[in-house]
Amino acid sequence: MADAPGTGESPGESLVKRTPELPLKDPIASRSSSGWMLVSALLLTATLAWSLWDEAFGQRPWKGMQKEFVSRYTRYLDSIKSKSRQSEDEIKETSEYQQLDEEAKAATEQVKPDVDQINQEVDRIQKKLDAVTDPFQNQRGRLTVINYNVEISNGAAKDRYRRNAETLKQQKVTVEVPSDDGKSIEKKSFDYSSLEQYYNELRDNKASLLGEKAEKLKVPTELAKKRDDYLKNHLVGLGPAAIEGLKAKVAKFDYSILGHQISVNAYNIVDRCEVCHVGIREPLDLRPADLAPDGPGKEPDALARAFVSHPNRELLAIHNPDKFGCSGCHWGNGRATTSDIKGHGSNKFWLWPMFEKENTEAGCQQCHAKDRVTDGADTLNLGRDMFSQRGCMGCHRYEGFDRETDALNNTRQNIGQLEDQITANEKMIRYAENPGSEVSDVEANALLAKATSLRVTNSLLAARIDQLNVQSKYLMQDVKKVGPNLKDVRLKLRKEWIPVWLQNPQAFRPETKMPTFWRFAAGNGSREAHLRDKDGEDQIQAIAAYLWQDSFNGKVPEQQRGDAGHGKTLFESRGCLACHSIGEGDSKIGGTFAANLTKVGEKSNFDYVVRWIHNPRERYAPYCPKEKRDLTADDYAKKGLPYVFDTELHSRCPNDGAELQVQNMTVMPNFRLAEGDARDIATYLFSLSSPPSYSAASFMDDSNLKEKGRLLIKQYGCAGCHEIQGFEDEQRIGKELTVEGATPIERLDFALQTKHAEEGMDPLKEVIRPDSKDEKPWYNHKGFFEHKITQPSIYDEGKEKDPKDRLRMPEPFLTPQWRTALTTFLLGSVGSEGANVPSSLFYDPEDQRRQDIQNGWWVVKKYNCQGCHQLQVGQRSVVMDLPFYQTAEGKDLLPPRLSSEGARVDPSWLLRFLHDPSLSGEKTPAQAQQIAQLTPNARASASPSSSTATSGPKLKAQPGLDRNGVRPYLQFRMPTFSFSPNELQVLVRFFMAMSGQQDPYIKEPMEPLTDQERMTARQMFTSGTPCLKCHVTGDPTHDAKAIAPNFLLASERLKPDWTFRWLLDPSQIAPGTAMPSGLFKKEGDRWVVNLPNPPASANAYQHDHARLLVRYMFQMSPDEQRALLATAPVTPAATTTTTQHHARARSRPLNHHRSLVRQRPWKGLATSVKVSLQAF
Amino acid sequence: MRRLINKWTILGLVIVLVAIAALKVQDWHQLWVIASAPDNVPIVAMLFLVPFFTWLGVRQALANDRLVTELEGDSKLAKTHHRKAEPWRPGWAKELHVWPYLVRVEFLATVIVTVVLFVWSITLNAPLEEPANPNLTMNPSKAPWYFLGLQEMLVYFDPWIAGVVMPSIIMIGLMVFPYVDSNPLGNGYYTIKQRRFSLLMFGWGFLMWILLIVIGTFIRGPGWIWFWPGQTWDHNAVVFDKNVDLHDMIATSTIGKAIGLGFLASNPWKFLFGLMVVSGFYLIGALFFHWLMTVDFKKLKLRRPFKENLFPKDAFEQKLLARTSLLQYLTFQFFAVSVLLALPVKLALRLALTIKYVWVTPWFNI
Repeated sequence: MADAPGTGESPGESLVKRTPELPLKDPIASRSSSGWMLVSALLLTATLAWSLWDEAFGQRPWKGMQKEFVSRYTRYLDSIKSKSRQSEDEIKETSEYQQLDEEAKAATEQVKPDVDQINQEVDRIQKKLDAVTDPFQNQRGRLTVINYNVEISNGAAKDRYRRNAETLKQQKVTVEVPSDDGKSIEKKSFDYSSLEQYYNELRDNKASLLGEKAEKLKVPTELAKKRDDYLKNHLVGLGPAAIEGLKAKVAKFDYSILGHQISVNAYNIVDRCEVCHVGIREPLDLRPADLAPDGPGKEPDALARAFVSHPNRELLAIHNPDKFGCSGCHWGNGRATTSDIKGHGSNKFWLWPMFEKENTEAGCQQCHAKDRVTDGADTLNLGRDMFSQRGCMGCHRYEGFDRETDALNNTRQNIGQLEDQITANEKMIRYAENPGSEVSDVEANALLAKATSLRVTNSLLAARIDQLNVQSKYLMQDVKKVGPNLKDVRLKLRKEWIPVWLQNPQAFRPETKMPTFWRFAAGNGSREAHLRDKDGEDQIQAIAAYLWQDSFNGKVPEQQRGDAGHGKTLFESRGCLACHSIGEGDSKIGGTFAANLTKVGEKSNFDYVVRWIHNPRERYAPYCPKEKRDLTADDYAKKGLPYVFDTELHSRCPNDGAELQVQNMTVMPNFRLAEGDARDIATYLFSLSSPPSYSAASFMDDSNLKEKGRLLIKQYGCAGCHEIQGFEDEQRIGKELTVEGATPIERLDFALQTKHAEEGMDPLKEVIRPDSKDEKPWYNHKGFFEHKITQPSIYDEGKEKDPKDRLRMPEPFLTPQWRTALTTFLLGSVGSEGANVPSSLFYDPEDQRRQDIQNGWWVVKKYNCQGCHQLQVGQRSVVMDLPFYQTAEGKDLLPPRLSSEGARVDPSWLLRFLHDPSLSGEKTPAQAQQIAQLTPNARASASPSSSTATSGPKLKAQPGLDRNGVRPYLQFRMPTFSFSPNELQVLVRFFMAMSGQQDPYIKEPMEPLTDQERMTARQMFTSGTPCLKCHVTGDPTHDAKAIAPNFLLASERLKPDWTFRWLLDPSQIAPGTAMPSGLFKKEGDRWVVNLPNPPASANAYQHDHARLLVRYMFQMSPDEQRALLATAPVTPAATTTTTQHHARARSRPLNHHRSLVRQRPWKGLATSVKVSLQAF
Repeated sequence: MRRLINKWTILGLVIVLVAIAALKVQDWHQLWVIASAPDNVPIVAMLFLVPFFTWLGVRQALANDRLVTELEGDSKLAKTHHRKAEPWRPGWAKELHVWPYLVRVEFLATVIVTVVLFVWSITLNAPLEEPANPNLTMNPSKAPWYFLGLQEMLVYFDPWIAGVVMPSIIMIGLMVFPYVDSNPLGNGYYTIKQRRFSLLMFGWGFLMWILLIVIGTFIRGPGWIWFWPGQTWDHNAVVFDKNVDLHDMIATSTIGKAIGLGFLASNPWKFLFGLMVVSGFYLIGALFFHWLMTVDFKKLKLRRPFKENLFPKDAFEQKLLARTSLLQYLTFQFFAVSVLLALPVKLALRLALTIKYVWVTPWFNI
């Protein structure tokens, strides 16, 4: 660099030429860094290029997906276009279309000359307008500026601008206006005002001409629209034009995020799911195969599955994605776009990953947490069913699931508070009346007045307590438990069987609701056997001993064995199988709502079972919640009262007047069976198994074990599902699960399974995911819940714990479907804090109708109404699938569909029917006599606990024995559920709301029939389709073949509007009904009978035939029916039923009651219903 | 002896140690999870870069020191020799300009660092974790890597000391050090010989800081519990740590009781006791640093007479000390004892002797 190297020192004078001392090159100055520089520069360029690529594509993988979608979708649209064109052509061939087309064309032709003329005129004007618009707008613009300047200037300037404006207005503008024929151009000169006038004239002319044209085209346009609508309505799928439109739309595809993102400011939702799931809202139903990589119909790949349209368009229509987004329901990370893992939120740090496909409906639960049944969410509904029916709610609180218990506790608390208040008031009154000497007269008077007012207050409070007492009585009637009453074990069970059952319930009765208590009961081969407590056997003994020793010690009336064959018939036909199942393994039939009864003979006492079948609600002793004990006959005797307790008049404690628990807490209803029938059914059940001999269980009488047993029962929470002496007020032992799904994952204690879960080692893989080959990490909410409910002990494995700290949750029996359903339910249980949408979006029906529906579902599900009845269109009841009802005749004998029950029946009638489905205060003569003889005292002696010694009929006679109220022809028995007035009310409102009925229902008065009309109707009734052939009349010989209800019930039971629609087309209301359709045909505005040779009187009748028949039916009297039968081929009934009269006599108080309820929805309910029910 | 300590034996020793450590690893996956976290890239890099550059600097410094020795021995050469890194040769420029000779190297470095940053930012995204939840603190909840040293200090001192006082002292200390340095040599080149003590102090502090960061990253798991590398970070791990204040420890020990030191457990004795201990520590620490400043390591021997063998003076260092003013000296001593010595001593007391605080006052604890 500075000193040039190599020159060295100047050569000396010596001639000898010395080789110069060439120094080494300067290592810094001479070294070149260009190589390094080049490499670095290249690297920098390369990384720059890489970063640009990454920005454009690497971070935007969706771009490729969108391109792929466009190409596949276009290809699919092409593939369906030809088919669509073909079907369009076919429609165009039809004569209707041709006719419409011709009409449209003719109309167009007709107005064509006029329209053409108008068009020409408009053209001419437009040309002139074009010429004048620009000069006019220029002038106007200039003037506007000047005017503005005038406005903002002052003094001289203002005047100057004004003068400028004047000048401008006077200024002449030359415009080249084309002549009318358009051939020549005329130069015209305008000042501003004339220019403006000319311009406006032209525009007005044009507007009026266009208006005229539209008027002329009105008819042709309408006809063309009619034609196009015809085409649209008859074309299945999209027409070629629509497909072409889609193609055009796809061709202009917007390759961006913003074009496909949903952004809802109000709810802070930003979802970009549709950036990749491009087809989700396409108007076509896109299936994976349609968008397969190798062309439509080929093997689909992952991309094709991502491109499909939403599988449930209706759901999407209700939950508009523009309002809810996608992640609102599905969860996942709606904002992420760089990979499916991030978008679906499956990465570690996204707390709420997208629900797996099988658990999708968990998303529904977020907002529909208050629903009992959510339409379209079958898995979730099943989950809720499982939660309540399999007894989860016995230990775990879940908001909404303990409606009755919560309400009952509240009511009791209220009563307590009011009583305290009364006591306090009394104290005050005593003081006010004797205030002492230091009070002045004025003060004393004030105090006396106060005392008086307090007395009034107290009487009001006492009235309120009475109301609450009635309410608590109803609520007690409604509180049910999942498991049987264990106060009865001594009467009900074989002593030695109890430890066997506790040992392993699943072994005795597979799939039973009773879970395995693995802590003491895990059987051999069970997954939890190694975790079993060492003293398991002792625990079983202690629990059994407590149950045995703290049970009623009475005697059930002895029963003889009956006819097993008859019992079998009854069992299969009366409706037991809607809830119970029978048989084991493949031969099992029936519902899963209640227990499998195959082995009932191995465990039970025959006498008890007969009594149970006869009336399961019958209790051995009433329970007094105030004294917290079961009352005995002595309690009654001390007060000189008969030992009688029922829900009606004898529900108060003789000691303290508190409302008693007087019914068993079972949902099993009363089938109103005769004692003999109950005996036969029990005999049949006992014939299914032969009782084995169990090893003796003398320890059960060991009173030393009792205390240990009590502690164990407390520890394991047995009282959650069972009624047990001493545990009536026991609290739940489990965790509340209302918002369990929102628990942060760190707070879910995977314990020693954490590492396994994170790494995908699954000890329960064979159970939970037997089909999948690969191991999946399960460290997430789904994994936790699934494993917990499959094997509750799993998070205790390997833990060193004190026995009292060990997990207590028993292992329930769950099918894979049930497990998924429960998991779904729990996953969605997130409350408002954990939900992915703001709580303002939650489903919270304000209107009464939807509330009524949800309130009703709780009751419907509680009593398993759907075991027998179809409540929603498409829903299958349990009995529909039983082998006995698969034939055509069998189907006619199925219980009625109730999908339009609310529209069909009169609500007050329904209330009465639900209260007593036999529709009968009426008794058989023998019973009537029996009941008449029973004074309260006599009834007491017939009550079982005190009548063990007496002989004769031992079981209490029941009203409405052995009969159906509406459809006596059915084998099925609509049982008496003993609903409380609360539940009756809820159910009636439910049915009305389900059918969209107005509330209240006011019956329209029916126009009386003239004699002539009666004649006509009678003839129509009997000719052609003999209505009485199928409908019940009350005559036993005739009714043997009848499969439809009695007309005498119609006026009270049915609604005229519905009856009218029913007559016209029954199959539309109840598909598959035996009632024939097409009985009437439309003639002008009226319906006439559709018979080959209608009676002459019918031809003469000029009004609506169907309406006439409705009126006739609603005014049917027993005499009229007799007269009808006389003309019909069947023998007329000798006597008429008295049902009608009874029913009429009863209807008044009921109506009265309804009106009361309406005025005072809650307060009046209790007392008014009580009154009306006592009138039954 | 010298023959034994060569690079091969050191390498062998390192290999053996690594092999033993590898055998002790129970959970390779855990190790990988920590090492591969995008958060921890700088720390993993540091594990290699810090030793490498230390080695590089030391090598350069040794070369320079050799040159300095050579030039000190040859005054003629010293006159003509202008470059510090290489011996000057005739024909070379006596001075080199910053541009382009320095700037081009710096530019090259800039380009290379830019490339590295590009690649890094493309391949590793920002290590975001779950959204913050005020109801649920993450566990372990760790500061960014450059603050991990501070966070680790919280284990050994109370929050006021570790979070406010210490960082302030460190920062002020770093600002002050140029002004307490009285050594005119060693500017612009690596040297050990001429800046022995300052190098030692800086290296000590720097490595200590790195060590705290490494502990915070690799060792502190859930619950800020000490997990050796390779141990599984178990969220349910349980440890029993019972740390006691020094005065309590003495007061309640058998010996303490025996000789009647129970009174130390209560005020004002415990205050005075702590004050005494800390003052003593400052005194001993200052003496230690004074010794370290001037000791001649080559003459240092563990043999009698101790007075001569344990305290040999290095002439050069003594000269430097003589140039130092009292204010400079005391300032340095304060910062050195408060940070450089106090931190490792407290760390050892806590980890090895489970001592919580040595001086408990109502206002602060040390």
